[in-house]
Amino acid sequence: MSDAPIIRFVDVHKSFGSLSVLKGVSFDIPRGQTTAIIGPSGTGKSVLIKHVVGLLEPDSGHIWVDDVDMAHASESQKLAVRKRFGMLFQGGALFDSLTAGENVAFPLRYHTRMSEAERRAKAEEKLALVELPGLYDRPTSALSGGQRKRVGLARAIVLEPEVVLFDEPNSGLDPMTSDTIDALIGRMKQELGMTFVVITHDIVSCLNIADRIGMLYDGKLIEYGTVDQFLHSNQAIVRDFLKRNADLPPASGPLIPPP
Amino acid sequence: MNALAEFGRFGLFVATFARASATHPPPVRRSIEEAYRIGVLSLPILLIISAFVGTNLALQGYNAFAPLGGQRLVGMFVALAGVRELAPMMVASMVAAKAGTEMASQIAVMRIREQIDALEVMAINPHWFLITPRFIGILLVLPPLTVISIFTLTVSSYLVSTLQLGLNGAEFLAYFTDTTEPMDLVYCMIKAFFFGIIICLVSCFYGFNSKSGPNGVGEATNASVVVSAVSCALLNYLMSEILFSGRGL
Amino acid sequence: MERIAALGRFTIFSARVGWRVLTPWWEVQETARHTWLIATRCLLPVTAVVFPFGMVMALQGLEIFEIFGAQRLLSSLVSVAVFRELSPVLASVLVAAQGGSAFAAELGAMRIKEELDATEIMAIDSLRTHVVPRVLATVIATPILNLIGSIAGIGGGFFTAVCLKGETAGVYWGNIWALTHSSDVFGGLFKTTVFGVLIGLIATYQGYYATGGAAGVGKAVNDTVVISVTAFVIANYFLTSALFGAIQ
Repeated sequence: MSDAPIIRFVDVHKSFGSLSVLKGVSFDIPRGQTTAIIGPSGTGKSVLIKHVVGLLEPDSGHIWVDDVDMAHASESQKLAVRKRFGMLFQGGALFDSLTAGENVAFPLRYHTRMSEAERRAKAEEKLALVELPGLYDRPTSALSGGQRKRVGLARAIVLEPEVVLFDEPNSGLDPMTSDTIDALIGRMKQELGMTFVVITHDIVSCLNIADRIGMLYDGKLIEYGTVDQFLHSNQAIVRDFLKRNADLPPASGPLIPPP
Repeated sequence: MNALAEFGRFGLFVATFARASATHPPPVRRSIEEAYRIGVLSLPILLIISAFVGTNLALQGYNAFAPLGGQRLVGMFVALAGVRELAPMMVASMVAAKAGTEMASQIAVMRIREQIDALEVMAINPHWFLITPRFIGILLVLPPLTVISIFTLTVSSYLVSTLQLGLNGAEFLAYFTDTTEPMDLVYCMIKAFFFGIIICLVSCFYGFNSKSGPNGVGEATNASVVVSAVSCALLNYLMSEILFSGRGL
Repeated sequence: MERIAALGRFTIFSARVGWRVLTPWWEVQETARHTWLIATRCLLPVTAVVFPFGMVMALQGLEIFEIFGAQRLLSSLVSVAVFRELSPVLASVLVAAQGGSAFAAELGAMRIKEELDATEIMAIDSLRTHVVPRVLATVIATPILNLIGSIAGIGGGFFTAVCLKGETAGVYWGNIWALTHSSDVFGGLFKTTVFGVLIGLIATYQGYYATGGAAGVGKAVNDTVVISVTAFVIANYFLTSALFGAIQ
């Protein structure tokens, strides 16, 4: 494993019609760490993350994933990159026609040569990992919001990707469920050693799980650094954002999620 | 200008779909499942509508030709107007209204819930995964549906002619069989085949490009059925000219 | 059982809407807005669909009239068929597909987003404000679109007969009323008014009682088209039999 960053944004611009969402974003995402991008809602955090897997293409700039530029990648290069990624979508993006377990096993059906029994075993193992053992046959319509996210997470990691992207893992969840998801992400990072990129507007969760934090504001990354650097930022907007999100831990360091 | 841009996007969509289908293995099992589902969805309503269009066809033919003393020609009228034109169009509009709208709304829901994005991230081609089986399915099922519709329509107009209008049944059948030939059935299936292509591609196109929110799904569903019905009606005339015209009786 | 219950709910819904149509107050402006909306949205599709049907009608009718040497009566065959059956049914199919489904989608979205509940909580009768104007709009717009469709269908027949098959234009126009009576036109208008009632009630019922998020709205829209088309095609048989009967 090299020390080179796994994802590099270089001066990325993106606008939708007359609405300019990203106005020159540049930063590196290091391998094997958890990087969180925060910012008020509607600042283009989801847009940012969708560039990484080529769901969106920038108007100008580059997004390097190792040595592939997703801004100009061919369809087959994109596919190759995507196979190394997992993504947890905001609403889970589970397929309604499948059960929870079938959703998890879904990528295995198309990207591996496993038999059905093997796929099921693998999916059940991942469901256990996200603390939902025995829910394989539960229809997705019968899952709660938190459970949907966990199943989505199990599906995102089932191919054992190098990088997992999280789009608002806490949105729409109550604080309790939100905390357990944070704890789950923290534990998985320790157990799996993957690179995590988390998009969130929840500063508490951010401090819970992140190694590095960046803040997206008005189309630019106005602050980016380790958690300590972030907490001691002298940017007015960052300080303001920290203050509004109350209940901050002492500036000494992040909360350690309970084991 | 707007319509032209839409048409360009549609062309691009079809090209993407064609390439995806050509470069992936055909999803045999899921295509058969789709065919079954489309058939089951559309069959009951198709039977009802075919039956009642048949009844009115007989009434209409009778009233149109009675002043000329040509009531006996109802059988011929049913064959010409019903079998050649109305049956394929009816199948097209019912499949558009039932299966087409369902395709559009299912895919639109998947779009707004980011399930299509999820497919992409999982490196599974969404065009191939979502459209190809529906496309093959609709093509498999439309020709037999057309035959069923023709049969139902003929039986119901026969019943109205004999029971309600008091015409001679043997005469009806004689005129009917004089006017149609087995090839007509094949021609109708060819029509239905092309209608199927239009309905599937149009419905999936609107589903794929749905805007977010409950309004978006409604609009996509709505647009899909109107655009496919209008395109099928226009195509129907063209194909009637090509297939039937000049062939006489 | 479930279907019978739904039919019961629909009947009650229709009665409640009917009562509000007959008693003040009315949302005149809303009704006008929806009528205009549905008429303009359906105008192009109705024309675009009935026109080619007039064309195939003429194409096939010509073959039969050649037997009698009565090609001159072609325009009348086309106009009878268009006034009585083709235009009423096709115009209504498109009103259901375009207008009815749009109403179901709008009301369904309002139900899901709790806008209808919000209306009720403000002590405003949501049937009066949101449902009645849409039902009235369909009832007003369908016959109008039927008339426009009739003209398009006769035009389609003209196009085939005169432009493509070389019949004489004067003969075509001259014989339009040879077998056609004003009762055919009024019969068509009456039928489309009934169809408009059916479409309006079914569409608003589907939207008003939509459940289950965005997917539920899609289902409401889908069911609207299918159920209303089935309903008025069946009604059409009985109306045609009653209005035009069989000339013995």
